[in-house]
Amino acid sequence: MIINTVILSWVTFIYFGSAIFYIFKMVTGKEFWGSLASIIAFIGLIAQTAGLILRWLESYKMGIGHAPLSNLYESLIFFSWTIVLLYLIFEWRIKTKNLGAFVIPFAFFSMAFASLSVKSGIQPLIPALQSNWLISHVITCFFGYAALTIACGLGFMYLLKGLEKGEKPHLFFRLLPGREIVDELTYQSVVIGFIFLTLGIITGSVWAYSAWGSYWSWDPKETWSLITWLIYAAMLHSRFVRGWRGKRMAIMSIIGFASVLFTYFGVNYLPGLHSYF
Amino acid sequence: MKKPLFSFLSSIKLTIILLIIIAVASIVGTIIPQQYEGGETFRHLSPGLVKVFNSLQLFDMYHSIWFIILMVLLSLNLIVCSLNRLPASWKLFSKIPSPDRKKPFENLQPESVILIEKDRNEVISGVEDFLRRKYKKFRRKDADRITYFYGEKGAYSNFGVYIIHLSILIIITGAIIGSLLGFEAFVNIPEGESTYTVHLTRQKGVKKLDFTVRCDKFAISFYDNGMPKEYRSNLSFLKDNNVILQGPLLVNHPITFNGIRFYQASYGTNPGGRAHITVRRENKQETTITIKQKDSFFLNEKNAKVTIVKIEKNFMSMGPAVLMHIQNPKGTVRLWIFKRIEQMKDRIPDLIKKVPTFNPGRYKPYYFELNRIEPNYYTGLQLSHDPGVAIVAIGSLFVILGLFVTFFSSHKRLWVRLDNQDGKTKISVGARSNKDPVGLKREVEYLLRHFSSIG
Repeated sequence: MIINTVILSWVTFIYFGSAIFYIFKMVTGKEFWGSLASIIAFIGLIAQTAGLILRWLESYKMGIGHAPLSNLYESLIFFSWTIVLLYLIFEWRIKTKNLGAFVIPFAFFSMAFASLSVKSGIQPLIPALQSNWLISHVITCFFGYAALTIACGLGFMYLLKGLEKGEKPHLFFRLLPGREIVDELTYQSVVIGFIFLTLGIITGSVWAYSAWGSYWSWDPKETWSLITWLIYAAMLHSRFVRGWRGKRMAIMSIIGFASVLFTYFGVNYLPGLHSYF
Repeated sequence: MKKPLFSFLSSIKLTIILLIIIAVASIVGTIIPQQYEGGETFRHLSPGLVKVFNSLQLFDMYHSIWFIILMVLLSLNLIVCSLNRLPASWKLFSKIPSPDRKKPFENLQPESVILIEKDRNEVISGVEDFLRRKYKKFRRKDADRITYFYGEKGAYSNFGVYIIHLSILIIITGAIIGSLLGFEAFVNIPEGESTYTVHLTRQKGVKKLDFTVRCDKFAISFYDNGMPKEYRSNLSFLKDNNVILQGPLLVNHPITFNGIRFYQASYGTNPGGRAHITVRRENKQETTITIKQKDSFFLNEKNAKVTIVKIEKNFMSMGPAVLMHIQNPKGTVRLWIFKRIEQMKDRIPDLIKKVPTFNPGRYKPYYFELNRIEPNYYTGLQLSHDPGVAIVAIGSLFVILGLFVTFFSSHKRLWVRLDNQDGKTKISVGARSNKDPVGLKREVEYLLRHFSSIG
């Protein structure tokens, strides 16, 4: 087994630990668990960054040097990397650690899926993938996906908060941030996700234009990315034009994320150009 | 008659219904194979169903009349909705509200009001200078014992949404121009041959180019693990038999000639190819020749002509083989030469006795060896001519600009009021913005910090 794969499979466990401690924090309300979870997530992020860099160097040693963004394994690793990176920035800005329990599990699942059921070998780039536009396409898409993952986590948090009942709710509910704050944060992460998604679609179509001869050919992945884009566009419009807030936004952020997941994974079962991701 | 149509087109309900229909249709389109992906799946469907699908243009859905009508309706809806809201935004942008409005000062948070230990006349110029510097759009109004100021910035933020909508319309326009005036086509050119006719992908039929494309060579290279590394076609573009442009065509590196972009799309092999044959004469030097099927060469000493009748990549599972006819005045000798003749002889020791035509030394004193067969490749090119691309690209850039204006700028409007209070001055700041409440709060805090330093 190559060193980068070993590091990356360890990162899976690190994120698992972090997710568990975030859940401890949410349930018990003790700051200690939250700080521990953040530190562990940060260590995981550093180890993962090192793993990705080693993998990059490894590919050059093999004489097929390319950024580690070229197959399903590498994209899953990168997906979880963007989730943790964006999440930690978010946590640092909003100064609350309750969101971790809703977001870090996604990073763990992505890593676990990569480690368990996807070929981890470094593959050379087939001619169609030899493009710098592809790199910017993958990076923008996954930052978008990560921001939308956070929005989905916030959506779940909002809905959970809705279960709160009575005069004196359980400590657990009191510890979650206020509804208006969650709503505002959902909106902000959807905005970031939407902008990156737009950039991802544009860079992707530039790549398609130089590789396939057409900037848009209604290939299933393209079509699904458009559907996802339309869902989030509808969400932002209903907020601006109709003043929708709260529960509706939370539900839409979850529906939108389901569409993201289908664009990412589901489309692989349909015929098209993106079959290597 | 005009009004109901206008209200129909301007309703947000129409937008939602259209978006849902387009989304559902697009999903259907990703499940039903579209025509260019090949007709394989059609066979699994019953003929009746195929007929229904065909009449609904479901096999080329994204170019069907009804899908285009949906797109046009969405565009009209977008235009009408934007026009509907534009006057209000324009008013916000161009009209400067009066500084002594009551509303901004209602329900002010206590932290938006400060008291300064100085007379109003002493602070007034400091406040005014600061606000004037900070806000280009600035107004002052004096009343009895009260002075009002108004300042605003980021008014352009009201147009972010219109920039996005307009650029989406630009993109759609570019796409329509591309599909009306452009074309997509493909052509397979064997190595060494040229063509000026190509097959249209969508419109069907053949198109004649006003120049000729020649494939000088096609080459494919592999990584160590057998995955393809590079497909390369050396192309020449000719007009009136003069080569105008020459270059290698690779995947991700299209060539543009006469407004038509050429893409490396596929490749294949034709029967035949080129055989590399070594001809040896006992005790003399050897020569190696490369030759195509049906071509001939001469053996100088015996006045004999060798014709390559057949080149087989894998003849009867025995590997690469070439059938030659050697003609001299006495008659014709048939001869099969194999690349793997030595292995064949090892397997069947008396092969040459049994099958004399397999004997590479049959035509004495010559001995023939087949080194390898170079496959006869053809390159598969995709052509596209799309005059709408530049428009789509411009539209995309403006979408990005519009997104940034919409989400990262805000129209901040601030009302400042100075009241006399027993020789002291009360400064109140009322504020409004179209988004980013946090940024607005910071702006107010910043103003008040500065005002208290005046005092």
